[in-house]
Amino acid sequence: MPDVSVTIDGTQINVPVGTNVVDAARLAGVAVPVFCYHPKMKPVGMCRMCLVEVYTPKVDPATRQVVMGEDGKPVLALMMNKLQTGCTTPISEGMVVNTASDRVKFAQKGVLEFLLTSHPLDCPVCDKGGECPLQNLTMQWGPDSSRFDYEDKIHFEKPIPLGDLILLDRERCILCSRCVRFEDELADDNVLGFGSRGRSWEIISKSTPAFDSKFSGNTTDICPVGALTSSDFRFKARVWELKSTPSVCNLCPVGCNTSLDMRYNELMRVMPRENDAVNEIWVCDKGRYGHRYAVQENRLTTPLIKRNGEFVSATWEQAYSLIAERLGSYSGAQVAGLAGPKLPNEDLFSFARLFRENLGSNNLDHRPGSPADLPLDDLPRTYGVGKGTNLMTLGKGTAVLVIGADPEEEAPLYQLRLRAIAQRGGDLTVVSGYPTKLERSATRKVRVKPGTEAQFALALVQAVAAEKLASEEVLGSGRLKFSDEYRRVLAAHKFDDLVAATGLAREVVITTAKAFASAEHGIIVYGRSAAADPAIPQALAAFAALTGKLGKANSGLIALRPGGNFRGALDMGVRPDAAGQPGLSAQQVWQQAGTGVKAVYIAALNPAAENPAAAQALQKLDFVVVQDLFLTETAQYADVVLPAAAVIEREGTFTNAERREQRFRQARQAPANLPADWQSFQAVAQLLAERAPVAVAARTLKKGAKVFTPEAPQGWTAMLTSDVNDMVTRSVSGYNAASYSALSTSRGAWGRQPNEAVYYDGTSYENTEGVGIQIAASAEDSRTTLQLNLSAPALRPVGELVLLPVARAYDGGDWVRGSKLSARQVPAHIIMSVADTARLDVGIGELVTVSSAAGSITLPVQIETGLDLGVALLPEVRGSTLGALLTGAQTAITVVKA
Amino acid sequence: MPPLTEHIVLRDLDIPNIRDFDVYLQHGGYEAFRSAVTEKTPAEIIGMVKDAGLRGRGGAGFPTGVKWGFLPKDVFPRYLLCNCDESEPGTFNNHQIIDRNPHQLIEGIALSAYAVECHTAYIYIRGEFAAAARTLDAAIQNAYAKGFLGKNILGTGYDLDVFVHRGAGAYICGEETALMESLEGKIGQPRLKPPFPAVAGLYAKPTIINNVETLANVPMIIGKGVQWYRQFGTEKSPGTKAFSLSGHVNNPGNYELPFGLPLRELIYAPEYGGGMRGDRPVKIVIPGGASAPWLTADKLDITLDYEGVAAAGSMLGSGAVIVLDETVSAVELAYKMDEFFKHESCGKCTPCREGTWYLTKVLHRVSTGHGHANDIPLLHDVYNQMAGNCFCLLGESAVSPIRSALKLFPEEFEAAIRNGTPRQAPRLAIPLVAVAAD
Ligand SMILES: Cc1cc2nc3c(=O)[nH]c(=O)nc-3n(C[C@H](O)[C@H](O)[C@H](O)COP(=O)(O)O)c2cc1C
Ligand code: SF4
Ligand code: SF4
Ligand code: SF4
Ligand code: FES
Repeated sequence: MPDVSVTIDGTQINVPVGTNVVDAARLAGVAVPVFCYHPKMKPVGMCRMCLVEVYTPKVDPATRQVVMGEDGKPVLALMMNKLQTGCTTPISEGMVVNTASDRVKFAQKGVLEFLLTSHPLDCPVCDKGGECPLQNLTMQWGPDSSRFDYEDKIHFEKPIPLGDLILLDRERCILCSRCVRFEDELADDNVLGFGSRGRSWEIISKSTPAFDSKFSGNTTDICPVGALTSSDFRFKARVWELKSTPSVCNLCPVGCNTSLDMRYNELMRVMPRENDAVNEIWVCDKGRYGHRYAVQENRLTTPLIKRNGEFVSATWEQAYSLIAERLGSYSGAQVAGLAGPKLPNEDLFSFARLFRENLGSNNLDHRPGSPADLPLDDLPRTYGVGKGTNLMTLGKGTAVLVIGADPEEEAPLYQLRLRAIAQRGGDLTVVSGYPTKLERSATRKVRVKPGTEAQFALALVQAVAAEKLASEEVLGSGRLKFSDEYRRVLAAHKFDDLVAATGLAREVVITTAKAFASAEHGIIVYGRSAAADPAIPQALAAFAALTGKLGKANSGLIALRPGGNFRGALDMGVRPDAAGQPGLSAQQVWQQAGTGVKAVYIAALNPAAENPAAAQALQKLDFVVVQDLFLTETAQYADVVLPAAAVIEREGTFTNAERREQRFRQARQAPANLPADWQSFQAVAQLLAERAPVAVAARTLKKGAKVFTPEAPQGWTAMLTSDVNDMVTRSVSGYNAASYSALSTSRGAWGRQPNEAVYYDGTSYENTEGVGIQIAASAEDSRTTLQLNLSAPALRPVGELVLLPVARAYDGGDWVRGSKLSARQVPAHIIMSVADTARLDVGIGELVTVSSAAGSITLPVQIETGLDLGVALLPEVRGSTLGALLTGAQTAITVVKA
Repeated sequence: MPPLTEHIVLRDLDIPNIRDFDVYLQHGGYEAFRSAVTEKTPAEIIGMVKDAGLRGRGGAGFPTGVKWGFLPKDVFPRYLLCNCDESEPGTFNNHQIIDRNPHQLIEGIALSAYAVECHTAYIYIRGEFAAAARTLDAAIQNAYAKGFLGKNILGTGYDLDVFVHRGAGAYICGEETALMESLEGKIGQPRLKPPFPAVAGLYAKPTIINNVETLANVPMIIGKGVQWYRQFGTEKSPGTKAFSLSGHVNNPGNYELPFGLPLRELIYAPEYGGGMRGDRPVKIVIPGGASAPWLTADKLDITLDYEGVAAAGSMLGSGAVIVLDETVSAVELAYKMDEFFKHESCGKCTPCREGTWYLTKVLHRVSTGHGHANDIPLLHDVYNQMAGNCFCLLGESAVSPIRSALKLFPEEFEAAIRNGTPRQAPRLAIPLVAVAAD
């Protein structure tokens, strides 16, 4: 955009056309006080705090020429002959702004005096005290006293709940509407509004349940006063007592940057830490309120060994020796390791080493081994969004295709980030077989017949050829290689048949393909429903590759899979499909329990909770080690239970869905000085190495073993987590630049200017501790050949109804312990269409028995009006025992009234 | 100037029972519309309204034809809104037009809609006007029945639907953008401008909004021609104005006068106000509704047109002329007026929401004899902190009464404070506790 030149308080600067006066002043180093304006939202001009004098060159109405004065300079005229709100006034060429004249100061004092007339001034007991823009602005711009009669103050009942998480103090509220606008504009949750008018105007919740938003906590940050407080933090501490530790949320693959605000060893609150490429300045409620599990009373603090069916406390030495002795007594093929995708990279790396090097086993997985497990998919390693990707910068010129994903449920922040791209003019297509929230923000909402995302994706690939949408550059590079299967699948699936299967008009597929192909940047986000059938990621990768949306910043795939660090688990090699090192998957481990497999080491996973088959299998094993924070359902079957430090009690790194590795620090001392998970893995490995020094090193290093190449197979000598990270940087491809010091580098994120804390205080924490490093996708190396493959879509099962599992953010997982969100966890239920429930004559909440070839379960019904006849959704929440029912990506079921 | 022999909008005074559809038709009703849709282009109608110099009667006096010309070309659909929120204290002419001459308004709406090429028009009427809303509904039904509204009007292919929407009782909903919010089902609060309604109004589509009286003028302009119309009024304020005269006059009511007659004549002519009650002298005249700055008795010779009233430092506004005699206290009047604005403030912006609250608190104590010594400078500060700083004109209007009162009658404030006793801090040591009955 072209720049225009303006003068602000005597400083002349050039700013892009369309910038408002407040932002232009920020660039000129001039602070204009604001309350209602927030740079992340549209200006509304309500609070009148930002009043300034704006002069524009006078234009002769007849000649339309700027009138020149005797001094040869343009004659200036005060705009509209009164003060203007800087937040709503776009700058124009030759504008002169005065933010400090007597008239402006009088108005600023006036607005502040007005705002304080009915303000309770209960700063000494207000949570915002110390980081309150109203305090700050009053100090800098306000009157020194109020002339308002104390008796005339208006009083409201002190905090009333807006919902179960957020309370509203109407006496403190200055009615800036930031909270309402955040929910409407950014989150697309129309849950807040206004009641009454004038001085009785007040914020109200419009939704049932009240304040029903997964992003509600952010309103407490952007509220410029202490009107909104969270039930999680209110009255717990004064903000200046808090010490903030940079952290990263691992509850989903967004990897929001957070700050853990501690008082001594106590976690007081979780705040967002700005990172424009990840979470901007937000976090979801799960990230904000879902990290209290670590501070629960019932944490395990000592190792337990089962003797005669009872757990007894043991020393670490006893536990480690027993584990080493027992695991070491089996052949590699007889042992298996399962480590959860929420563990940090250092731990996953050490776990993989322990198995591959010291135990000689490739039976590694990060999935729980349920029929609901998603097939492994590592296409984003090659076709993922390139280094330098930053969704916050995208808008016009970007096409985003979201397919088979419900971002708000699978990775909440993507709801905000993808919606924002559409609002900035990007082209957002949402393809889904069932209603999702994001589709409301879509440029193109594409509702396919449930379970036909694969046909849609293949149709896109076909459309590339039919409509000549392939990128000349990519085709010409000769990098693309097509497998025979690729050609066979394309030949066997005609465009028209594919389109017919999806139930769409062919134009819909073609316009989607064209919009994507013609955009400068193209991003494909796919989630749970897409990953269930490997044919879908393959087709999407092919579509991205053919249209040239690969190997560069802001183009490529983003996969959303369960687990905040699933990407790290794949990269660190906790997977049964590592090149040249195939092993058993978790599901195979359970199938072969007691026969081929004798012993299993499980860390940070709880397979028994959801999958009856896993619970049975565990009983058939000779030896089970479970490493976790709590005595979980799975731990009940263990022979040895090892406790571990929680994320907030140690440091480490996570890799997010866009392959950005980010570092988190230790905020709290672990109870009983518990070791980090990797430390236990190392202790066991050291004992094993003593027993059988180099038993397996040669095998690990054989040709083709690309996942990692440890420099010293016996090098189990890490003292600090950073030592493990050093090994990661040397061994894991792509991670060589991600040293701790590099990960700690920051840059100004959303353009904070000096002095801004004054009015964006409490909004989020400035990131001075590192924004992470994005790992390049392998397609970025122009020498990599790109082997494209396709598969036939999974056949839609024939049955009365088709069952699709869907993800839920509030899944009732272990993170919810101690969280204010416990009340928001829903019990297991099945979601059916209006027509199907009418046919079965069941109402909301009534029980049905759902049966498949695998088994049957009984659970209550919910009705979704937007759902197609013949489809049922089963949310993956604690207690849904999905595993008992599924037979594949889609499962044929029958449902009867229970 | 003699009294009008022929009215333009209050034609119920010339033609008995013009509120009956048949009577309206017998007196040439819908002829202007018929000739327009069958013989004239929309541009020609806009041209005539422009040439006639019709100015908006809702308050700002903006030239109507010019406003219509602001519509961006080729952006459809467009909407026409008729503003009948009529909530400005002292204003009641819209109600009379609807009650007694409703068909002329509907014809005016049909003509204007045709001129601005829109196919949907809404009449936003204040909620309290329940009977008037029913009258309008009936008049609209009459027009549909005769084919003046609906599909393919008079065989021309032009379609138009007109709907009546009742508000819920808020003065702010008369402000054009708040009206649109309310019509869209949202809370009635003004919008940020630009974009202006002509560019993005109702449902973000190009929208024209006009007052009832403005639209009721249109059939006469089109029917009788620009020449005829311009014989009334002044060069800059052509035509007539239905003034709502109220206060201490002998004959309050609506009087349609050509623009340009002296204020004195409206108050004293026997056919209009008929003089002051009990022959007491005039103390204050508020010439354009509660928002207009006050005038004193020395201004009775100004002419009642946009230019004349503006030159005297006030504004013609909605044409509600409130005349008050010496029995009125300026302090109390300011208090009452600002109480109105406080009650009607929508709450969106700080200076109006808090300022009106602040002003009325201080005015109340001064007017009840409990003023503080420095209340006069305080009042000056408070209204100055509001003036020019509010989001919309309601807050700006709230400044008028207090500024006028302090400027014209400072001695009354001084006296009220001097003779009064500041409240002796009746802070209750023990708060009152309601005792629950068993
Ligand atoms: C607070 C406020 C209240 C208003 N109330 C009315 C009203 O009741 N009726 C009306 O016609 N205009 C009212 N207006 C003026 C309208 O905003 C608008 O200017 C008018 O309807 C335009 O019509 P006109 O051009 O025909 O005058 C009000 C303006 C403000 C600021
Ligand atoms: S609660 Fe806070 S954010 Fe919401 S309107 Fe009030 S002051 Fe603004
Ligand atoms: S979006 Fe994901 S990473 Fe971010 S706070 Fe929520 S759960 Fe954590
Ligand atoms: S001035 Fe402000 S508070 Fe008053 S009515 Fe207008 S927008 Fe609402
Ligand atoms: S009006 Fe500009 S910041 Fe509120």
